[in-house]
Amino acid sequence: MSSGSAGNGPVDNGIAGGGIADSGTAGQDPGIRTILRRETRSSRAVAAGAAAVLVIAVCVYGLLESALRVIGQPPWLIDPQTAAERLVDLPAGISPLLLGATGAVLAMFGLVFLLNAVLPGRRARHLLEDRRVGVVVDDEVIASSLARRARAAANVTQEQVMVVVSQRLVVVNVRPTSGVPVREEAVQSAVEDELRAMAPSPMPDIRVNVAVSGVVGA
Amino acid sequence: MNGTPRVLNRVLVGILGLVLAAAGVLFMLLATVPAVAQWWRQWSSDAYRHASYLAEQTRIPGRQESWLWVAAAAVMVILIVLMVAWLAQQGKGRANMIVADYEDETTPGEVEIGGGVAEQALKAALAGRADLAAVTVATYEVQGRPGLRVRVYPRLGVSPQLLAAEISGLIESLDSVVGRRVPVLLHISGGTRARFSRAERVR
Repeated sequence: MSSGSAGNGPVDNGIAGGGIADSGTAGQDPGIRTILRRETRSSRAVAAGAAAVLVIAVCVYGLLESALRVIGQPPWLIDPQTAAERLVDLPAGISPLLLGATGAVLAMFGLVFLLNAVLPGRRARHLLEDRRVGVVVDDEVIASSLARRARAAANVTQEQVMVVVSQRLVVVNVRPTSGVPVREEAVQSAVEDELRAMAPSPMPDIRVNVAVSGVVGA
Repeated sequence: MNGTPRVLNRVLVGILGLVLAAAGVLFMLLATVPAVAQWWRQWSSDAYRHASYLAEQTRIPGRQESWLWVAAAAVMVILIVLMVAWLAQQGKGRANMIVADYEDETTPGEVEIGGGVAEQALKAALAGRADLAAVTVATYEVQGRPGLRVRVYPRLGVSPQLLAAEISGLIESLDSVVGRRVPVLLHISGGTRARFSRAERVR
């Protein structure tokens, strides 16, 4: 999680504008740049949908109760006037435990919404450089590609390699086959090679862990 | 790539979060701290008295009810409409044409090329590949002009840079077919579809 993220790297150098500009990489097209910046962050559409549905539900319920009151019918759950009165003398009329629990649940939901709005919401994706198109890659894809190279270099099976890719770090965990030593440098250089060819931005560091205990019969 | 209003989402979700969190904290304090309970009773009964005085003043002539109820109902209806409008903004921005009103002196009239041309061409070009589990292509409107979003689901172990270079080549040939460069986003996605497919070992 760092500020120097990819899409907003070097400032546009004048080639901007025309869709038919032939030279330059896709990263220099301001439209593509905006798209890439948006693609690496969450849109919060789910939180927005939940918030809108919540507000609509509360409003519909409020309308229902006030309509019932206006036409003189008995309230469905609680009459608005009674609700206001109950709210006014609050600590009384309800057990403190229930009140506290309700407050805790409300505060928790509020905090979830608030954090959703405030946090950067970066997605587990990296950008690749390309002449023509803007490319975003899910970290899972990078991890499986690096795992394939690491597996080939360490000469182990697919299950013995686990790769975790995060924004700034790639962790390669290798469990060697019992009795067959794994050269850590070989794995490191293979993964480095693949990562350099891929050139994701931001470029992560590599850490290789070779487990002390091996796997029998793999 | 779509036109989801991100800043608006953040602001409105943040406001709702603040309101909920404040109400929750108030309830918790009411339940636990006696001083807060005392302050709340003072403050809320004052507010309630003020509100009922206001309701007395604003009574609809000839009826018992205040027109404040009507106003409150109207506000709620407006709020519902606004919320529905906000929901409708999420994920919008699909377009039909990748080229419209083609400016060309030699062509009288307009040329329009539907997004389906690009979508079908790319899908057909990528259909036979063993290293892709699935491909989706969609046309979106980006900052007033059309753009393509290509999403591919590679099988396990496929190198994304090779895939990107090959698809980039396909897009360049599409450019020469369509006659105009549209912004293209290539999303190389690891989804459940890729995770449960067999690994690609030979390329």
